[in-house]
Amino acid sequence: MIAATLNAYLGLSAVLFAIGFLGVLLRRNALVIFMGLELMLVAATLALVAFSRFNATMDGDVFVFFILTVAAAEVAVGLAIVVALFRRSGTIQVNELDSLKN
Amino acid sequence: MTPARLAFLLLAAPLASAGATACFLRRRGRAAAALSVGVAALILAGALWLGFSGVRFEADREWLSLGGLVVSFGFKFDDLAALMLVIVALVGFCVHVFSLGYMSGDAAKARYFAGLSVFMFSMTGIVLADNLFMMFIFWELVGFSSWLLINHWHERPAACAAAKKAFITNRVGDFGFLLGILMCYWIRGTVNLTDLAVQTSSGFASYSRAIPLLLFCGAIGKSAQLPLQVWLPDAMEGPTPVSALIHAATMVAAGIYMLCRIQVLMVPQALDVIAWVGTATALYGALCAVTQRDIKKVLAYSTISQLGYMVAAFGLGSVEHRLESGEIVLVAAGVGAAMFHLTTHAFFKALLFLGSGSVIHGCSHEQDIFRMGGLARRMRFTFVTFTVAVAAIVGLPFFAGFFSKEAILALAFSRNRAIFAVLAFTAGLTAFYMLRLWRLAFLGRPRSDSAEHAHEGGFSMRAPLAVLAALAAAGGFTTLYPRALAGIVDWALEPEGAARVAVLSTSLAVLVAGGALALILYSSAAIGRAGAAAADNFLRDPLESGFPVIFGALVTLRDSFDTAYGYYIEKVQQRFAMLLNFVDLLGIGGLMRSLAGLVGLTGLQARALHVGRLNVYVFWFLAGVAVLWAFAAGIL
Repeated sequence: MIAATLNAYLGLSAVLFAIGFLGVLLRRNALVIFMGLELMLVAATLALVAFSRFNATMDGDVFVFFILTVAAAEVAVGLAIVVALFRRSGTIQVNELDSLKN
Repeated sequence: MTPARLAFLLLAAPLASAGATACFLRRRGRAAAALSVGVAALILAGALWLGFSGVRFEADREWLSLGGLVVSFGFKFDDLAALMLVIVALVGFCVHVFSLGYMSGDAAKARYFAGLSVFMFSMTGIVLADNLFMMFIFWELVGFSSWLLINHWHERPAACAAAKKAFITNRVGDFGFLLGILMCYWIRGTVNLTDLAVQTSSGFASYSRAIPLLLFCGAIGKSAQLPLQVWLPDAMEGPTPVSALIHAATMVAAGIYMLCRIQVLMVPQALDVIAWVGTATALYGALCAVTQRDIKKVLAYSTISQLGYMVAAFGLGSVEHRLESGEIVLVAAGVGAAMFHLTTHAFFKALLFLGSGSVIHGCSHEQDIFRMGGLARRMRFTFVTFTVAVAAIVGLPFFAGFFSKEAILALAFSRNRAIFAVLAFTAGLTAFYMLRLWRLAFLGRPRSDSAEHAHEGGFSMRAPLAVLAALAAAGGFTTLYPRALAGIVDWALEPEGAARVAVLSTSLAVLVAGGALALILYSSAAIGRAGAAAADNFLRDPLESGFPVIFGALVTLRDSFDTAYGYYIEKVQQRFAMLLNFVDLLGIGGLMRSLAGLVGLTGLQARALHVGRLNVYVFWFLAGVAVLWAFAAGIL
């Protein structure tokens, strides 16, 4: 087994982040966009954990705890909003949700 | 109660009355009238007590403190103020009572009586003020109440225009007044009347011609002196009792009173100007009165003329000469004569106006004297009282005006013969136009239906006429004045020996000449001939048909000021205003508009970014991150 280097972790993190971002950018479904957002958070978390591991400090881990907490709250609120949105307008396709503009 | 507190009460009561009317009694004309008349009675009682008991006091409180400038609110109640306060209270009360009858059918009675109360408040303030700033404040307040009351019938465009004209014309004079006050404060360091008197008597070296002349500007506006007299005839659009109180007896006399208050600031050169302005005004007013057909306009021009007399009297007899040390010897003869004439004029002119109000009321609002006639039989009471007033104003011996006019003529005779000649000629004109008015309105046959069916007013209109008639008949005998009030009037010069004979014979000669001319020119036969000569059977002025050149010249003279001001406003001021407007649009407006346009344009572009699609916002977000990164990396 090859010991993973920091760069490998960071590369994986960057790839995950890019996938998440492209998801947010290109998809039209609010749930999928939401998943993309989560993926970006996880990518950042991974990078922080890797830094923590390779620097032998706890700084990154502390960050991760906060990010997990905030992400949990955010998911709860965000999913509730998506559900409410669906009940109200019958769709969660963001290209159809343009009442602010029109 | 101390006298100062009583004075404060007299000042506060009418204000409270006006406030209460404005807040609670707008729709209750009767209650508002009762309140206002009650307050006027209170002022009369207080003024009589203060005046006759001989208490004289000064009291002041700091009111405003702006850095080094301290404006105090105080009373200076000396003999001059006592006399003026009694006049104001007396005439004011008579007019209030008369208004009960005259305005009984008016829809806006509450507003009218509230206006009268505001006026009484402001006028009392002017009389009692112990410094020029306070006087100026109340000075503006009487201007405001005058505006309010001229404008009483605001549905008439003429009344609105007249009210605006009165206010704006007064503002012109008041600007000079304000500059004078500021200059007085700048040079003398105080505007308190007593302090100024102390400075002058202790030989204060500062000797300024500008201060009295600037302050006189205020009197020119308020007392309708040349060249700002144009507002007073127009002000006759207001209700007749208002004309009697404000535009004849008290407010327009405030200018004279103010001059007497600031006598200590006078210097000989300024007094010469004042005397000549007054003389010219006296002559001008009398000349204009000759051609008027409207009974109130005749009286308005007569008021201008009589105010000119007072101003001339003040100018003639206030400063004797300047000593080597720079000290100025003040002589009170001018103040005495001016205040004496002010007093008698207040009585007989208020009586004339109230009498004309009674006539107008009786003739169902007919104001043209050529459409009156024969009122002597139909309105006997008004006729008798009006005759007393006419006798007083033309200076029939032993009536009030005779003595006060003699005092002024005597002063002119001893100081300046040219002014004496003009004033004596004016006295002849006064006799002419007053007897013309009297003859046309009361004698002869009725010349219209409304004169045919004229009727006398009720008790509330007759009682004030009786009181004022008594005063106009007896007001000239200074020995009858209570000791406390006679002080000021006694300063007037008593002519002696040859001067007395000359003055007396001149005034009697012009009286007889002017009166006889009027009675001949306006005899029934002459009026009939003039009326028959006119094709449209419109009642023509015999002067107009008999002497068209003189008549035309007088009308031109009367209109010349209005024409000149109209020309100035239309051709000069309006064009200048348009130029300024153009500069404003181009410069200031242009700058502002281009700034606003810039902001608008930015907004337009910013709005284009806002498309309402989530994905697009993410793109912008990405672009933002990229820019941020570029900054952080030092690329940008």
